[in-house]
Amino acid sequence: MQQLSSTLRFLLQSVGLGLVVAAIVIIAKPFWAQSESLRQNSNEITSFNQAVRKAAPAVVNIYSMGEIQGSYYQPQSSRVWRLGSGVIMDSQGYILTAHHVVDNVDKIEVALQDGRRYAAQLIGSDRYTDLAVLKIDAENLPVIPVQSTRRVRVGDIVLAIGNPYNIGQTITQGIVSASGGRVGVSNSYSDLIQMDAVINQGASGGALVNSAGELIGINNARYNSAFGDGGEGIYFAVPYENARKVMKTLIQEGKVVRGYIGISVNPNFSEEQSLSGILITGVERNSPAAKAGLQPNDFLVAIGGDPVRSAPEGLDLVAGSEPGTKLEVEFYRNEKRMTTTVTVAELPR
Amino acid sequence: MKRVLALFSLICVVSFTSIPSAQAGIPFFGNDDEQPTLAPMLEEVTPAVVNISVKGKREVRQRLPEALRFFFGPNSPHEQVRERPFRGLGSGVIIDAEKGYVVTNNHVVDDATEILVTLKNGREFDAKVIGTDERSDVALLKIENGEDLTEIELGKSSELRVGDFVVAIGNPFGLGQTVTSGIVSALGRAGLGIEELENFIQTDAAINSGNSGGALVTLDGELIGINTAILGPNGGNIGIGFAIPSDMMNNLVQQLIEFGEVRRGVLGVRGNDLTHDVAQALNIPVNRGAFVSQVVPGSSAAEAGIESGDVIISVDGQTIRSFSELGAMVGSIGSGNSLKLGVIRDGEEQSINVTLGAQDMSVTAESIHPALQGATLAATDGNGVEVEELEERSPAARIGLEEGDIIQGVNRKAVSSLSELRAAIEDKSGVIALNIKRGDSSLFIVLRNAN
Repeated sequence: MQQLSSTLRFLLQSVGLGLVVAAIVIIAKPFWAQSESLRQNSNEITSFNQAVRKAAPAVVNIYSMGEIQGSYYQPQSSRVWRLGSGVIMDSQGYILTAHHVVDNVDKIEVALQDGRRYAAQLIGSDRYTDLAVLKIDAENLPVIPVQSTRRVRVGDIVLAIGNPYNIGQTITQGIVSASGGRVGVSNSYSDLIQMDAVINQGASGGALVNSAGELIGINNARYNSAFGDGGEGIYFAVPYENARKVMKTLIQEGKVVRGYIGISVNPNFSEEQSLSGILITGVERNSPAAKAGLQPNDFLVAIGGDPVRSAPEGLDLVAGSEPGTKLEVEFYRNEKRMTTTVTVAELPR
Repeated sequence: MKRVLALFSLICVVSFTSIPSAQAGIPFFGNDDEQPTLAPMLEEVTPAVVNISVKGKREVRQRLPEALRFFFGPNSPHEQVRERPFRGLGSGVIIDAEKGYVVTNNHVVDDATEILVTLKNGREFDAKVIGTDERSDVALLKIENGEDLTEIELGKSSELRVGDFVVAIGNPFGLGQTVTSGIVSALGRAGLGIEELENFIQTDAAINSGNSGGALVTLDGELIGINTAILGPNGGNIGIGFAIPSDMMNNLVQQLIEFGEVRRGVLGVRGNDLTHDVAQALNIPVNRGAFVSQVVPGSSAAEAGIESGDVIISVDGQTIRSFSELGAMVGSIGSGNSLKLGVIRDGEEQSINVTLGAQDMSVTAESIHPALQGATLAATDGNGVEVEELEERSPAARIGLEEGDIIQGVNRKAVSSLSELRAAIEDKSGVIALNIKRGDSSLFIVLRNAN
C-alpha cells in the first residue's frame, strides 16, 4: 500500500511537473513563435494553394478551329474557334481533354500557363466517354500528379481547374456529390463523378483534382435535364481510372471500339416508373436491334443474361461488349415476355 | 493534490483558450467533436457589412430623329435630355467606425441624391458621398451621426493566394444579408472590360446583383476585397465573381479621404502584355509581365530611366502579369508616391525607383470651360493639349474646334499640359482666345464666358 501511494505520488509529481512545463510552453509560445508557426499553420488549413500549385500548371487551354455548318438563317458555313481545357498527363506531351472540345476540328492549339503555345495533334477520341487524347512536341512540360491509392468518396473536397469563357485559368471548389451511376451529357456513359464545383463553357476537358492536387477526373459537362435547362450545382467528370484506360487504348490503337445495337431509350423512365428496365423509344433502321426484331415501346429487362435496372447500366453493358458478340435480350411487348438475340456491331464514329 | 488539481485546471484553461484562436473559422478541418462552421467569425464580421439603398435621378439622353427635326425647326436640340427617377440597392463595408466611413462601388451610388445605409441590426442612417472613382468603381460614403458602428479589419490582398478560402457578404437581390463561401479562383484578373482599371480577385463564392460593394473576407474575417461584378451570360451567378483587392481599394480610399477625389499617379509608359512570342524574339527570360513599347518624354518613367523594351514584372515586390494589371496598380496609387519597379532589361532583372507624376490624361473639356462641352482633351508630349474626340454639333464643335487640334496657348500664353490649360482659363474672365495648331497652320478660337 505504502509502495503504491509513493508510486502514485511520484507519478503525480512528474506529471505535474510536465504539465507545468507544458503550461509555460503553451503560454510563452505565442510570444516567441506567434507569427511564424500560427500563420503557417492557419495557411495550411485555410487554403488549397498547395494543391493548386501542384496541379494548375499542367492544365492547358485548348483552342480548336473547325467549320460550323450553315443554317437556314445563315446559309454560309463559318470557321470558328472553340474553347476548352486539357490536362498534360506525361512528359512526352500526351494531353487528355474532352471529345466535344476537339470534335470536327482541323486545327488544335494548346496554350500552357507559362505562355508557351503549341500546335497539337489529335491522337484519338472516344465519343462514348467524351474523351480525347492530344499530343504536343515540347520539353520541360509540367505533368499533373495523379491519384495514388485514395478512393474518391462522396463528400471529398475537389477542385476543378480550367479556362471558362477564356478569361484565364480558374479554380473552383466543391465536393463530390455522387460517384458512379449517373447519366451524363452523352445520354449514355454512366460512370461519372458528380460534383458541385462549377465548370463553365471552356472548362470542359480540364482537371478535377483532390485536396492534395492529384488528378481524380477529367471535367466533362454540366447536367442538362430533358427540357434542356441546366441545373446549377450539378456537374460531371470522368473518373481518372477510366480516363487513363481510354487514353492507353487511344495511344496504342488510335480508337476505342465500342459495342452498338442501335436503340434510343428514355433515360429517366425507370426512375419515374420505379420499374426495373429500359423503355426503347426508337430503333435505328438496319441496326442490329432492328435486325433482331426489336421495336419502339419494347421494355428491356435483361441483356446478355444480366438484368438491367436502368438505361445507363444497359448502355454500359452494350458499349462494353465486343462487336460480333451475340447478346440475348429479354423484353416485354404487349405484356408478353419475349426473347431475341442481337449481334453487337461497332459504334459508328 | 490540490496543487496538481490547480495545475490541471490551469492547463485546461490554457488549452481551452488556445484552441479557438488556433483554428478560428476553419470550415472543413475542425475538431471531430465540433461542427465545422464559419459562424464565430461571421458573428464578428457581418455587422460591418451594410445594405445601401439609393434614390436619385438619372439623365436619359434621347436622340431626336432627323425626320422629326423638320417639325421642331432647325434650332431644336439634337438631343433630348430627360431625367428619370430611379432606385437602387447594393452593399457596403464600414471601414472606420468612428468616422462612419463606408466603402462601396461607385455604380451603387452613381447619380444618387439620397443614400440610406441600413445596418445588420436594422438601424438606418443617411449617408453622404465623400468621393468616388469611376475608373476603378470605388466610392467612399460617410454615415451621418453614426454611433456604435462596427468596423471591419482590413486585410492584405497582396498576401492572398489562389486556392485560399474566402467568404462573400452582401445583400443579393435585396433579400437581406447573405453569406456565401468559395475559394480564390484567380488573381490579377484584368482585361475583362468591366472597369477601366481592373486587377480583380476572381472567386467562385456566389455573388449576385445587390452584392455589389459588399465584403470579401478571409477565414480570419479580414477584408480582402470589395465584391464588384460577375460574369454571367444570363445575369445570374455561374461561379465567376470579381472583387476589387483591398490594397487597391485602400489606396484609393486614402486619396478620397484626403482630397475628396482620386489624384491618380501617372507613370508615363505605353505598351502591352508580354507574350511568349515577344519574350522569345527579344530573348526575355520571363513569359508574363508588362512590356513597355514607348516611354512618354518628360514623364516620371522617363525621369527614372525606364526605356522602351523594358519588361516590368513587379511593383513594390508584387508580381505583375499583364500591362492592364500594371495600369490598375499604378492607377490606384496617388501621385507623388514612390514605387519600386522590378524591370527586366537585357535579360537581367533590376530594380528602378519611380516617383509617380500627377495625372494629366484625357478629360472631358466641359470641366475646364462650358463652351468646350463635347470635346475630350488629352495631354500631348509637352507641346500642348490635343482635342482627342469631338462630339458632332456640340458647343465645342460649334465654336470651330476640330478633332486633332492642338491647343498651344491661352491669350498668347503657352500651355503645355491640361493642368496649365485649366489654370490659364480659370485665371481669365471675359473673352478667352485659344491658340490652336491645326496641321501646319495656326489659328485663334474665341471662347465667350457664359457669365
